[in-house]
Amino acid sequence: MAERTDLPDPSGFDIELLLKQARTYLAFGQQIQPLSERFHETLGQGGDWGEALRQHFEQLKTALTRAVDDPNGHPDLARLWTVTLDTAASLGVSAAIAPPVGANAGAWRVYQQLQSQYLDGLRQTARDALDLMEQRLNERATAGATVESLRELYDLWVECNEETYGRMLRSLDYAMLNGRLLNALVSCHVRGDVPT
Amino acid sequence: MIGPTPAQIAEELRHFQARLTEGARTLRGLGPIETGVLPRDPVHQEDKLILYRYQPRVAEPHPVPLLIVYALVNRPYMMDLQEDRSLIRGLLDAGLDIYLIDWGYPDAGDRHLSLADYILRYIGHCVDHLRERHQRDSINLAGVCQGGALSLCFTALHPGKIRNLVTMVTPVDFHTPDNVLTHLIRYVDVDLLVDTLGNLPGQLLNFTFLSLSPFRLAGQKYVDLVDILDDAQAVKNFLRMEKWIFDSPDQAGEAFRQFAKDFFQHNKLIKGEVVIGGQRVDLHDVTMPVLNVYASQDHLVPPAASRALAGCCGSRDYSELSFEGGHIGIYVSGRAQRKIPPAIAAWLLAR
Repeated sequence: MAERTDLPDPSGFDIELLLKQARTYLAFGQQIQPLSERFHETLGQGGDWGEALRQHFEQLKTALTRAVDDPNGHPDLARLWTVTLDTAASLGVSAAIAPPVGANAGAWRVYQQLQSQYLDGLRQTARDALDLMEQRLNERATAGATVESLRELYDLWVECNEETYGRMLRSLDYAMLNGRLLNALVSCHVRGDVPT
Repeated sequence: MIGPTPAQIAEELRHFQARLTEGARTLRGLGPIETGVLPRDPVHQEDKLILYRYQPRVAEPHPVPLLIVYALVNRPYMMDLQEDRSLIRGLLDAGLDIYLIDWGYPDAGDRHLSLADYILRYIGHCVDHLRERHQRDSINLAGVCQGGALSLCFTALHPGKIRNLVTMVTPVDFHTPDNVLTHLIRYVDVDLLVDTLGNLPGQLLNFTFLSLSPFRLAGQKYVDLVDILDDAQAVKNFLRMEKWIFDSPDQAGEAFRQFAKDFFQHNKLIKGEVVIGGQRVDLHDVTMPVLNVYASQDHLVPPAASRALAGCCGSRDYSELSFEGGHIGIYVSGRAQRKIPPAIAAWLLAR
């Protein structure tokens, strides 16, 4: 009496989830390569690698801001910080409760304003995560520990993002914003207009 | 120190891409993903609910049946995910007679189903069916997660029908400081949500759960998947979990309204203020033996939320079982298979 699911059943595995995150990982690698290059150059020349690290992360943060403003101009970087939004899209949240065409214009405007605040919050956690990652790399270097692989760096990036995102998630401000955002999105619907 | 050189990073990326490409072949050849492996028979049906009896694995199972009440969220085959990850199998092997409620998938016609329907009518009818079938005044009841909260309500209202109660990763105090789900729903206008949408879309719940840890649960997990893409069995195990995670039934509107407001937002269960079908639920009326199983690293139902039951139920035979793991690991990890079913069975068989 086993229940069967054939791909790509909506309740089964969506290979796009895998491909999207694989692309994110590859984009991460491309962002890290210059850091590695500069680090090894600096090390070879007996320079201040800590300063090199700081400069690289500053550049990353600047580029991140640009990527947010113009995701198409910086698709690789945009992919790194929009992982949460990609997740939402992948899970079909927007499809699940997206307002219909011609939704209440006032409510839609309120929703967009709140969504903008939400994106600002995500952007800040992404920046904070880069700060934290820089700090963790410095701490490791001070302790004489070496990051052995790109995957280890990626795992550290994930850990830092989880930490800064988690801090935001658990804040009172976020709880309020989350509530207002969902309430605003729902308000775009007409009562009884059940989304498909 | 950053060990890998640019060339080594390039090589790592190339290797990753190659594994991904090769892995596509594994994915294509996997065939259907099966879950819910043990043979079972439907014994009672009401609306979309089906009550299943799992075929016993001993000649003479324990005479008092155990009814498992799963949450309305996600699907109950988590209890019997695959051959070597099945709590139900462990309970059957220990000699118990196991029944499980499958709630089905609510649709628009179910939006007016209330908690009273789920607790008094659906659970109540299943309990009565088993009492009659087994010629017993009372049966054993096991509630899982939200199903545990529903079971507590039923048991408090009908203590004479339940001989022993097992609660698994069950929230009782919804306002412990570390309850992130309560935190997220605190400012949601639940009335607006339900009045507008009717049923709550399962996809929204999915997003909420995954958004608690998005970089791990929706990112890193899939990068790690690439590491095992050459192992068809490991990929199948992964996909079974994926199937379960994304298999989220919509929530019947009225039941969701009361659960979200009374349990999450106003914490009425522990205060003794929940009213089901006009009857107040007082957990002090839960006087039969209680085994409360919780997971020490549960990020959805924090241990303190479960353990609060100790201070408010009326049982003089209250025990706790702590499992070192998370909300999902308590069903599917290897350690859970070895520890949880034998412990529950031993506790039940001694009573």
